Amino acid sequence: MRPRTVPKEIMRFISGIILFLAAVAGPSFAVAQTTAPPQAMMPDKHFDIFDTYCLDCHDSATADGGVDLESLSFDIDTIASAELWQKVLNVTNSGEMPPKRKDQMTTEEKTEFLADLSEQLMVARDILSDSGGVITMRRLNRREYENTIESLLGVRVDASTLPSDENPGGYDTAGSALFFSSDQFEQYRKLARKALDKAILYGDKPKVKTLRVEPETSINKHLNKQAENYKEMLARANAWRASDGQPPTEFGFIDAARVAFEEGQYDLQYPTMANYLDDPLSQTGVIITHNFRGMVSARIDAPPSPGGYFKVRARIGCIEAESLPEDRRYIEYGTRSASNNAEINVQGFQYINGTVKEPEIVEFRFQPQGSDDRSFIIREQHVNNLEAFKRLFIAHRRTHDTKLGPKPSLWVDWMEIEGPHYEQWPPQRHSALYVKRQEDDTHATYNRKVVETLARRAFRTKEPSPAYIDKLMQLYEAKVAAGTRPGTAVKDVLAIVLASPSFLYIQEPTHGKKKRELNPDELAVRLAYFLWSSPPDQTLLDVAADGDQLKQPEVIRQQTKRMLADPRADEFIHGFTHQWLHMERLDFFQFDYEKFPDYDTSIKESGRQEIYEMIKDGIIHGRPLRELVKSDHVMINNLLADYYGIDGVEGEDYRRVAVPAGLPRGGLLGTTAIMAMGSDGEKASAVERGVWILRSLLNDPPPPAPANVPQLSRLADQHVSERELVKLHQEEAQCAQCHQKIDPLGFGLQNFDAAGIWHDIEVHKLTGAAAKRAKKQGKPVVIKTAFDTSGTLPDGTAFADFYEMRDRIAEREDDFARGFTENLIEYALGRPFGFTDQKMADTVMKRAAKRDYAMDEFILAIAQSWRFKMK
Amino acid sequence: MRFQNRSRRSFLASGSTLLGLPYLESLRGAPSVAAATAPRRMVYLAMGFGVTKQTWFPDKEQTGHDYDLPEGLAPLADYQDDITIIQNLQHKYSNEAHWGSTMWLTGANRYAVPGQSFHNTVSVDQVAAETLGADTRFTSVQLNGRKANGHGPGLSLAWNRQGKPVSGLDTPLALYHRLFSDDKTPLAQRQQMLLEERSVLDTVLEDAKSVQVGLTQTDKDKLDEYFQSIREIETRIGKEEEWLDVPKKMPKQKLKEPGAKLTGYEEIKMMYDLMVAAMEVDATRVFTYRLPTDTLIRSLGATISSHNMSHYTEGERRQVSEQRDQALAELLAHFIQKLKDSKQADGTSLYDASSITFGSNIQSIHHLNNCPTLLTGGGAGFRHGQHLVMKDPKTPLCNLWLSQLNGIGINAEKFGDSTGPIGELFS
Repeated sequence: MRPRTVPKEIMRFISGIILFLAAVAGPSFAVAQTTAPPQAMMPDKHFDIFDTYCLDCHDSATADGGVDLESLSFDIDTIASAELWQKVLNVTNSGEMPPKRKDQMTTEEKTEFLADLSEQLMVARDILSDSGGVITMRRLNRREYENTIESLLGVRVDASTLPSDENPGGYDTAGSALFFSSDQFEQYRKLARKALDKAILYGDKPKVKTLRVEPETSINKHLNKQAENYKEMLARANAWRASDGQPPTEFGFIDAARVAFEEGQYDLQYPTMANYLDDPLSQTGVIITHNFRGMVSARIDAPPSPGGYFKVRARIGCIEAESLPEDRRYIEYGTRSASNNAEINVQGFQYINGTVKEPEIVEFRFQPQGSDDRSFIIREQHVNNLEAFKRLFIAHRRTHDTKLGPKPSLWVDWMEIEGPHYEQWPPQRHSALYVKRQEDDTHATYNRKVVETLARRAFRTKEPSPAYIDKLMQLYEAKVAAGTRPGTAVKDVLAIVLASPSFLYIQEPTHGKKKRELNPDELAVRLAYFLWSSPPDQTLLDVAADGDQLKQPEVIRQQTKRMLADPRADEFIHGFTHQWLHMERLDFFQFDYEKFPDYDTSIKESGRQEIYEMIKDGIIHGRPLRELVKSDHVMINNLLADYYGIDGVEGEDYRRVAVPAGLPRGGLLGTTAIMAMGSDGEKASAVERGVWILRSLLNDPPPPAPANVPQLSRLADQHVSERELVKLHQEEAQCAQCHQKIDPLGFGLQNFDAAGIWHDIEVHKLTGAAAKRAKKQGKPVVIKTAFDTSGTLPDGTAFADFYEMRDRIAEREDDFARGFTENLIEYALGRPFGFTDQKMADTVMKRAAKRDYAMDEFILAIAQSWRFKMK
Repeated sequence: MRFQNRSRRSFLASGSTLLGLPYLESLRGAPSVAAATAPRRMVYLAMGFGVTKQTWFPDKEQTGHDYDLPEGLAPLADYQDDITIIQNLQHKYSNEAHWGSTMWLTGANRYAVPGQSFHNTVSVDQVAAETLGADTRFTSVQLNGRKANGHGPGLSLAWNRQGKPVSGLDTPLALYHRLFSDDKTPLAQRQQMLLEERSVLDTVLEDAKSVQVGLTQTDKDKLDEYFQSIREIETRIGKEEEWLDVPKKMPKQKLKEPGAKLTGYEEIKMMYDLMVAAMEVDATRVFTYRLPTDTLIRSLGATISSHNMSHYTEGERRQVSEQRDQALAELLAHFIQKLKDSKQADGTSLYDASSITFGSNIQSIHHLNNCPTLLTGGGAGFRHGQHLVMKDPKTPLCNLWLSQLNGIGINAEKFGDSTGPIGELFS
């Protein structure tokens, strides 16, 4: 028997009570939670489980398999004890322990034991990985690097070739997780060199030229040739068929199968081509139309240019505009994808008002980045995938009499490209590279000034050491001596500056102290990277240079407000929101295009933007945080308005629109993006959606999916529907411990399909053996039922349907605000949110609560907090 | 029956590198004699997501040499004598059900370091590369399939001595150029360039030293990653200088430059062919490869994602999972045959001198025990043709890594959480 009277256990019992009280008291007593030292602790009630099921073999004397559970502390306070508890969790989950021949825990015991243990282990991991308030020096992450280069040089680089900064379980601002891998140094140099080539241009400004193409000339020539080929091929095939047994090789075919194949191709391709060429519109412009090969699109190529951007204009009209459905009036534009002709790198979309009779002229800004993205394409908005084109085309042929595929809706008369344009010439004039040339400057003295100037700006708060500049200039001299042109040599040297640690790391040296207050310059840098993911601008630097100005809370508040209103704050909104709401899932899956032909790239990207716009609107206007859960408005553009079925929204920009009565939109749960993230591209996933709600809205993240949970043996090799799976989850202790919290929430959203479209009726189509059985019995193969979306929140609060669930979640605004606060702190400070930060979170919450949880107040409170200005 | 006239003593006498391997009780049936002198090679092929449990593992009741090859490995039927399947290996610290590769070659405990939520240690291939890579142009080569889902965090299978990720090449084209494209610049100019590179490193170190001043210990440790990166470049430059006047060799059977658009099945096949070619010219002796998952199943005609495939239930998902197992087995068979066909001057083949491991940290679905493990090649002196089921269902996978290190002649006593080499492999 385990002795129950030792003082240590009494202590444990007492602190257990404190923890318990804190848990039931909830967020309004959050302060009580932080006064007790954080502890991960298995509740004492599980002593009995140990006694009954484990200690026979795993007491200190026997310690079977080297596992001694008798002396295992119920405080999970060291890495070693966490490891052993993890082991206990794993073997219980896998059903390995207790052994089959021994007594087994009851389902109830097991569920509680596993629930407590997995929960406490998460707490233990948090405590054990607590940074203790240390903010580790941070390397610029990819986003920050791109923005910083842009702010210095005035040109944008694509840093996606650098290793990803994705941080398991954290943000890309966490210094301790931002590593430096072996070939990263060279990658930085290469990227910087590319940027410098774009930023520094010599000589006269290139002349602006305008080029117009009538795309039909090249397209029709191509199509005519192809159509002729098909005709000729068919003629040969017919001749062979009429030839009475001559070998196919005589007619230019390898074998008979090839003949059949070519006939099939003819059937598939020729009618659309001939029909296209017969249409008079094809003789005066391009009919943007769907065919088997993809899309006939309008294209224009940018002439070679050193950097710069172009204006592209196109004259476009809708075909048979009077009867054309709204959703077929959108064009999509972008550059040719390198990997596949039928796909484009979509850059945007636009609604077309013009008609064939009265076309409109649309203008785009086009900025080629390199040599392989100089073709600008316009086509109808469509799924961006060649396979999808083919399948949808064939499906259309199957269901329509005509063999021609969908009717075309848009026509482009001509396209025009004008450029290159430059914001200024030479581009370096307004960047950190610009130094006025003195009369007595040689190449060498002048370039030294350029290098010094950039280094000073690039190093932010630190003065480059003279020895360093000397070494850079020695390199420059050596290069010039070896025959490199001074203009090239200086770029090579500048690229080294942009791969040096003073540029790549945000430094806050403490000079021997454990903690210290940041100086105004450092604070300006921290604030700018928090709110802009970019370096400070001149205004902020000026304030920082003005004595102790920036230390005044009021001044920080003003600056924060100013910066949040600046377009650069988009960097924060995107970077933070994407990670906070786990939006990476939006790109995990290729959607099943036959099931969701409307869910194309433009919808997906607009849906993503919708989330950012909601957050931005909330922050800029200081709206209450709860409106992210439930709102009577949505932030949408014309495309999403069509998608959601909301009338009267014209134009591509996002705006606040009142939700018409009866529509399930308004708040994150009604958005296509969040719903699509909770799917696998085919079906909605109740589990993913439930986990998302727990994690993002209720601040109650479930433990990670456990490894090695045995499959129910009676289910092996059986087909299990999702609804059945959810029921099964409740049956087994290992699953029930978490899934009883997760699944009901996910099911509350079942009206939304994988692409976020609302359905009142669930349509279930039987397949395979089940379908045969049903047919035999004269039962329907397609079953229609009303959704049952009733369920409960983790604490037992019941809801009848989606609307009620959303109401109940919206009522938990304290939980939601807590999660938002903790995530913001983690992002802002660049370290995992730990127990050391609880007090800070309390303060931020309190401040925000005074303003009805206005979204901007959370950010203002963090920026003004004591911790934010401490290293 | 294949019987080679060799005693342990004569074997040890033939190559001093292998001294000190007390568990090498018998070499009867070990695949190759001359492999003792031929350079050893190591290859790790990682699947990412796990296999189809029901059709990939042989029946645990049939062990030893007489076992039925399961359906998922059927394409390897002709090579059954050349492969070993081991069951019951695992990493005790594995908890991440979607990380098939992150700790596969390290066995690290993610939470081992207080104050950090992610920690890793050196991978077995990098330990091997310290020895095997000394005499080749490239110390090791890391390869990644694009869209390699199911592998978890990391830049390749390899992790350096500091437990930081080592990056890799992700297309056959990039590998081809790394291995075979010669720099056309004149020698003197290249020497000049390397010299210049050294001055560049010297310059950034000047800045790094000034950054170091006044940093906290944690920040110094962070900056150390930068220093480490510079040191690694220095080592590489040193090596480049050594190899400067040695032109890159082309294999006897000349290879065409691979197409840039190869994906899935064809991409893997090309990677294997290039690896064989690299071994033929002895460009490197250590390879790791994170096999593509999504593009592979797509190239087999599947429309579901690899994540969906890995969490298979009856029906389409499981079907795709089985298809993938078979395709990977087919590709492995192709690789083995190519290695066997490639004869060295001494009459042995590349197969004889290579130690090849094919597997994942994930067994199937969310299971992290009994990691699927298939061994082939004679490089580590394993006797193949067996199905081994370890008695202890929790035998450390690191025991295998240790056995391989020992088998290729590296005198390590421990790797990760190893408890000792696996004697059964050698008998």
